[in-house]
Amino acid sequence: YSQSTYNFNEQSISVKQMFKKIEKTGNYTLFYRLDQVDLDKKVQVNTKDASIEDVMKQVLQNQSLSFQLMDGNIIVIKPLDSKNAIDQTITGVVTDAANVPLPGVIVKLKGSTIAVSTNADGKYSITVPDANGTLIFTFIGFNTQEIPLEGKKVINVRLTEESKTLNEVVVVGYATQKKKDLTGAVTVVNVSDMTKTPSGSVNELLQGQAAGVSITGSGQPGQEPDIHIRGINTFGDNTPLYVIDGVPTSDISTVNPNDIANLQVLKDAGAASIYGSRASNGVIIITTKKGSGKVKIQYDGYFGTQVPKGGNVWHTLNPQETADLQLMAEKNSGYTDFSDPQYGNGPTYVLPDYIEPAGAHNGDPSVNPALYYVNPNYTDPNDYNNFYRIVKANKTGTDWFHEIFKTAPITSQNISLSGGSDQGNYLFSANYFDQQGTLIDTYEKRYTIRSNSQYNVSKSFRVGENLSYSVTENPQVAINNPDAIIAYAFREQPIIPVYDIMGNYAGGDGPGLGDAPNPVAVQQRTKNDQYLSYRLFGNAFAELDLLKSLTLRSSFGGALGSSTFHSFQYPTYENAENTSTNQYNAGSTSTYDYTWTNTIAYHGVFGKHDLKVLFGTEANQNGGSDLGGSRQGYFSFDPNYVSLSTGSAAGESNYSDNYPKRSLFSYIGRIDYAYNDKYLLSGTIRRDGSSSFVSQYGWFPAVSAGWRMSQESFMKNITWISDLKLRGGYGIMGNQTNVTSTNQYTQFSSSIGQSYYGIDGSNLVPGFYENFLGNPAAKWEKDINSNIGIDATLFHDMLSFTIDYYNKDIRDLLFNPPLPGTNGNPSPPAVNIGEMKNHGIDASVTGNFKLGSGIAINATLSVTTYTNKIVKVDNDANYFDTDFGRRVGTNLVRNEVGQSLGEFYGYKVVGFWNSQAEMDAANAKAQKATGDPNAVYEQDMGLGRFKYADVNGDGQITDADRTFLGNPNPTMSSGLNLGVSYKHFDFSIFLYAVFGNKIWDNVNYWRDFYSSYETAKSYTALYDSWTPTHMNAKAPIQEMGTYFSTNATANSYYVENGSYIRAKNTQLGYTFSALKLKNMGIQKLRVYISAANLFTITKYPGVDPELPGTPGAASTDFGIDEGTYPSSRTFLIGVNLSL
Amino acid sequence: PELLQTKAGVDGLLVGAYSALRGVQADGTAFGGGDSWQTSPDNWIYGGVAGGDAHKGSNSGDQSPIEAIASFYPNATNPFFNSKWIADYEGITRCNNTIKAAVKTPGYSASDLSNILGQARFLRAHYYFDLKKMFNYVPYIDENTTDVVQPNTADIWPKIEADFQYAYANLPPTQTDVGRANKWAAGAYLGKTYMYEHKYSDAKAVFDDVITIGVTSGGLAYALVPKFHDNFNADTKNNSESIFAIQALANSDPGGITQANDGDRLNYPYGANSPFDCCSFYQPSIDLANHYRTNPATGLPYLDDFDTHAIKTDMGYQSSDSTFVPDAGTIDPRLDWTVGRRGIPYLDWGLHPGNDWIRDQTFSGPYSPIKHVYTQAEQNTNGDQHSWGPGTAVNYNIIRFADVILLAAEAEAQLGNLTKAETYVNMVRNRAANPGGFVYQYLDNSNPTNGYSTTPAANYLVNPYPDGDFNSQGLTYALKAIYYERQLELAMEGHRFFDLVRWGVADQALNAYFLYEGKLTTDITQGHFTKGRNEYYPIPQTQIDLEVKGGKSVLKQNPGYN
Repeated sequence: YSQSTYNFNEQSISVKQMFKKIEKTGNYTLFYRLDQVDLDKKVQVNTKDASIEDVMKQVLQNQSLSFQLMDGNIIVIKPLDSKNAIDQTITGVVTDAANVPLPGVIVKLKGSTIAVSTNADGKYSITVPDANGTLIFTFIGFNTQEIPLEGKKVINVRLTEESKTLNEVVVVGYATQKKKDLTGAVTVVNVSDMTKTPSGSVNELLQGQAAGVSITGSGQPGQEPDIHIRGINTFGDNTPLYVIDGVPTSDISTVNPNDIANLQVLKDAGAASIYGSRASNGVIIITTKKGSGKVKIQYDGYFGTQVPKGGNVWHTLNPQETADLQLMAEKNSGYTDFSDPQYGNGPTYVLPDYIEPAGAHNGDPSVNPALYYVNPNYTDPNDYNNFYRIVKANKTGTDWFHEIFKTAPITSQNISLSGGSDQGNYLFSANYFDQQGTLIDTYEKRYTIRSNSQYNVSKSFRVGENLSYSVTENPQVAINNPDAIIAYAFREQPIIPVYDIMGNYAGGDGPGLGDAPNPVAVQQRTKNDQYLSYRLFGNAFAELDLLKSLTLRSSFGGALGSSTFHSFQYPTYENAENTSTNQYNAGSTSTYDYTWTNTIAYHGVFGKHDLKVLFGTEANQNGGSDLGGSRQGYFSFDPNYVSLSTGSAAGESNYSDNYPKRSLFSYIGRIDYAYNDKYLLSGTIRRDGSSSFVSQYGWFPAVSAGWRMSQESFMKNITWISDLKLRGGYGIMGNQTNVTSTNQYTQFSSSIGQSYYGIDGSNLVPGFYENFLGNPAAKWEKDINSNIGIDATLFHDMLSFTIDYYNKDIRDLLFNPPLPGTNGNPSPPAVNIGEMKNHGIDASVTGNFKLGSGIAINATLSVTTYTNKIVKVDNDANYFDTDFGRRVGTNLVRNEVGQSLGEFYGYKVVGFWNSQAEMDAANAKAQKATGDPNAVYEQDMGLGRFKYADVNGDGQITDADRTFLGNPNPTMSSGLNLGVSYKHFDFSIFLYAVFGNKIWDNVNYWRDFYSSYETAKSYTALYDSWTPTHMNAKAPIQEMGTYFSTNATANSYYVENGSYIRAKNTQLGYTFSALKLKNMGIQKLRVYISAANLFTITKYPGVDPELPGTPGAASTDFGIDEGTYPSSRTFLIGVNLSL
Repeated sequence: PELLQTKAGVDGLLVGAYSALRGVQADGTAFGGGDSWQTSPDNWIYGGVAGGDAHKGSNSGDQSPIEAIASFYPNATNPFFNSKWIADYEGITRCNNTIKAAVKTPGYSASDLSNILGQARFLRAHYYFDLKKMFNYVPYIDENTTDVVQPNTADIWPKIEADFQYAYANLPPTQTDVGRANKWAAGAYLGKTYMYEHKYSDAKAVFDDVITIGVTSGGLAYALVPKFHDNFNADTKNNSESIFAIQALANSDPGGITQANDGDRLNYPYGANSPFDCCSFYQPSIDLANHYRTNPATGLPYLDDFDTHAIKTDMGYQSSDSTFVPDAGTIDPRLDWTVGRRGIPYLDWGLHPGNDWIRDQTFSGPYSPIKHVYTQAEQNTNGDQHSWGPGTAVNYNIIRFADVILLAAEAEAQLGNLTKAETYVNMVRNRAANPGGFVYQYLDNSNPTNGYSTTPAANYLVNPYPDGDFNSQGLTYALKAIYYERQLELAMEGHRFFDLVRWGVADQALNAYFLYEGKLTTDITQGHFTKGRNEYYPIPQTQIDLEVKGGKSVLKQNPGYN
């Protein structure tokens, strides 16, 4: 609806401004050639109710131009003199892939300044001097297209969107980069895929989502999983450096996953080395969400139930079978007298009605309830000595697994409020996460609030803050520990009921019932214990643009943490081994960690050169203290009564520690240079000074380069390649997590257990001892890293992949080498002696496919591989052992030069001794080989026992025949996210797989051998153990004794295949129609149902093949099952709502 | 370290050096991180179980490294040896640190300084003595050693002698604290050192003074206490017989039983109705008990055929089976203060019920240990329940006067003074014969703390050797009698294995033991002592691997372990 008449009164106006007015008031589109029209010419335009033609004539006065009105309110301007004959006018429409017109697309004749832009309807008209040129169509966010004219008059163009991923802004060290410009190995995690799994832990969510990152967790709420980036990078702590909104930290357990906007993993030196002495384990960068646009309220919540594994998970024999097994073992051991306090005098064993008094039957006077006396809250051992327990036998068998593992609820409720304008932005969020553990009385309850805001004080000055505060209650149990609750559950015999006849706990107190404590009692007694922690984390920042291209930034941030706990230890009475003391423990810790970062950043573009330079300094310090104590001898165990004030003075003990302060001061520099969007070069350097070392300063440089081959002219015509980039980098990363700031000093200390002594025969006197041998020569671990990678985007973003090969040479590994015993017993200092190599490939492939009829599929596969090899351990020793198997008396793991960290070590079982003749022959050989007429091939040889491999071929089994039995490091781990959407429905599944790793199933030590204490036993022991008629058995002969040739040493019997595939998460969602909701003020409403850990495919016979390592030694001691906290199946319903 | 170069600092270091006698660094944890029993200073594993005094106990597979030691399968990777090694060198390190600080500390009088140095060197010699008898050739580190990677090529007896000689010459006869070593403790230990070196006349010379004029640190003249059991009673510790003891304090560490014989925490009766929390280890052997049979006519032991006069056991009896009647024959009364057996008062805990207090009778026999066990009446003061196994306030005597008397008897016999030797042996036997020191029946079996009757708990008979018996029967007989007496008197005190080796009879004695005992229980059926190898334990493989110079270990493994 253009006006038909125009009134202008312009005394001096530029042609350009006039054109604008005409376009605006008349809704015309003007087409012209920039080289033909003098736009800056000042003209006078005076019209009254004039036609557009009159107006145009005045505007074009004194220029030799003519114009032509065309359909659709288009005015085309041409020169008057005109070689009109050769000029061509080309018209057309530019649309996007979905045929929607694109306004503002620049249409340019290649090699000239002739250019026009499309109008609101996507139309254009361009006049070109000849018919043989090429038109270039460019538009921000879309791929540029070139079309040769070839005499055509109408050229309609469909532009394809430029890859979002390529232009995605990625936060790297102290800067941002577009993904296409990255030269380092950086994994950008799909946060929405990641957060589909129900978990409160960001690290756990990361499992399988990022190529190059290996994560192993358990089902325990709040237990942070083990995380390795690109293999095992140090003998000690492999926790990467996390950088949240620019603030480094080592702990992200309190981060609310809902707050995460994006997450990147910096894997190689090119990307991570700018973090210097803390980069070697890799760096994970997290940016939290910011507000934008109008006020928005977002609610995300789910509620669900977690179901522990069903069935007889440990393949436990029932009580009668247990008795039968005992009889079998006694017969195999040559016993002839079968009398048992519980099972009677044979010839077959009969279950008693009561296990305490032992072996009693119904009607025995000894089971008269009147005799019963147990005071569960006893305080006097004399009282305890008078207990008379009466415990019925549970003849059907107690299922101890399901006595401690129960169905449990989980919920997360998250609400956020956000908004923003050019004056600033804000986001406030609150989260309540409550995961009850399937193991009774374990849980994580976490309350988190966050406030992120930014205030744009002026166009060039911004200040803001990102802050989160969390309160977490999280009691945990020890897992994979043979002397902790889960192991108690597989050790406790099934004939023992949970409670005795009066409802007090039952246990192994009677004869032949084993020494495991009642696991239900152990756990229920922790009910009133509390483990509470608080953490404030975040930063405040200011940014000033000095010039358009120069920005100053200062950020001060960190963490303030505190935690408190109290626990009460009740006396026990039901077990074989009881503790009669009662004790209350309470304590608290507080920690701080601050970082002050100041940077100046420059970004300039000169023609084809793009240069970014950054310099900065960073100061970091952390420290803390703890305080606590305990008392004993409580008069009452009422939780309202017990406190540190009410116990007896005699049982008082207290402690306090100030953690040694550690500080770091650093200079930072980085340069990113790009030429013609094609050749990329990046250099970073950091100089760190640490208080942990005598020689405080060290340099950490890195260079990386990229070549975007797809920008080369020879590849431009390959239309299916949207982007192809070759990258490479080399640099040095450091690690100082394995050293304390007091490592340099030899220290003396004093403590009761260590150095007090009753020198006068009656009073304890303090003494001193050397508790630490200092090493002033320690320095950083050095991770010399090279990386080569390819990034490709194909078929217009339908398919993209990244593949990286890396090699790390990790030197000067800080290691606390066991000291020669002649030093005595001081703790050894960290010394730079170890060396290790890691190499591997990590890769990811993402596909997005739109099928007809509204079906869209997206899939991401990520693959992680690493090979770890120890090159050097120590100047003295070429190995160190970990995981001391207390029950077998040898270590299960040897970390030796030439092998990977964590490999299992022991004797290799090659079969059973099936006949005396076989043993005689072996002994004869041994006697011949050694020249000793009494020599035997193997200690404790016997029929049906293990035959070990004579690895060194000397005819005898000795220490030297121990060998590597399996590697717990997987050859590959992989995650597959698969999503399908159809109309309002969306479905996704996330599969996680680990291949090629071995597991040491030490649960079998307890259950497959009758003689391994008096524990509950497995089907294998009774039904698949060696007998003269069943030589092709799994387990050896069941006997009363423990032998070197059965279960008294570490051997390959326990090694199992640990590969598995697990459906970590499946989800089905429904999004309500936006139109209907709009009336209700709702922007988006989606509901979903979801199942986590729906199925696991594995050959591993244990409860869960996912086995995290020993806390504190996870890099050298992992993949050993000794009672893990399995992941459970979780079913959820959830809602995503935006207002 | 400068901070510690004050008198108070040095005394703290010295107390720390004493503290290392306990072998533990935290509740249940040995120096070096193993379990506390691996380094128990009473050597119940290395001297007791290995010497045939006792079975490992418990059931099969429980602490299987001890099973290997008991059967002489010990190999260099057995972690127990490594723990023991570290614990002794920790003690040595503390002594060296004390000496280093003391000599730099101003203000000492000459006598004060030599007292400090004497105590530190006494303790250092003790730790080396322990290493020497365990491992034979070991590296020697003193206050002047800068590189602790030292070879084990030299015999360290001269070094041990030198330290004890210094202590003997410089320590005062009494000390302000009873727990400190004095001149006479040094003398006694020096004599014991000479005995291990078979330097009998040197030993005799020292022992003569120790026996005649020696006093305890508290000033008591050395003497055998009238009642045998007073050596094993928390209320009578640091008595006139206690030459050097590890001071045990119950309930002094709220964090555990570190000060209360932590290393013995496993060694209590265990099972249904046992009043103790742990764990039926260190069960006296049947063979040991048989040694206490006395000839009803003479009151003397059966020096050769003790096992044919075996003491009746309750093997195979359930506790509920009341038909068992204890042995009625004549018995040396020390048996029932050394071996807990069915039907006899177990201190004031009640009659030993047999099987109910034994974890696995078939595996390790019917008996329970006693010597370190606290009484029921004083379980709250002398017992310590601050951990999962019991602690006890009963001191462990590293050397007690009876030990010295019997060593002196040996020295005299070896020097041909058989009469004097007999006198010494009879001192010990006469004390045993004191009826005041017998075990008596309870007034009321159902109320054992109520006191004892005047009826002995068994048919006790022990007599001294008739005057001139040694002389008339000759040296071989005399030595046999002395060795036998040493076993009776010092059984379950961790000396036996080392004595057998010292006497050069370990192979005969132990293989005979395996032959006899191996038929009665199932734990040591494969036991065999190999002469030329098993006299010493292997140098821990870990240490061989750690003490490397120029790519080669400086430690040489003991013969037979390669």
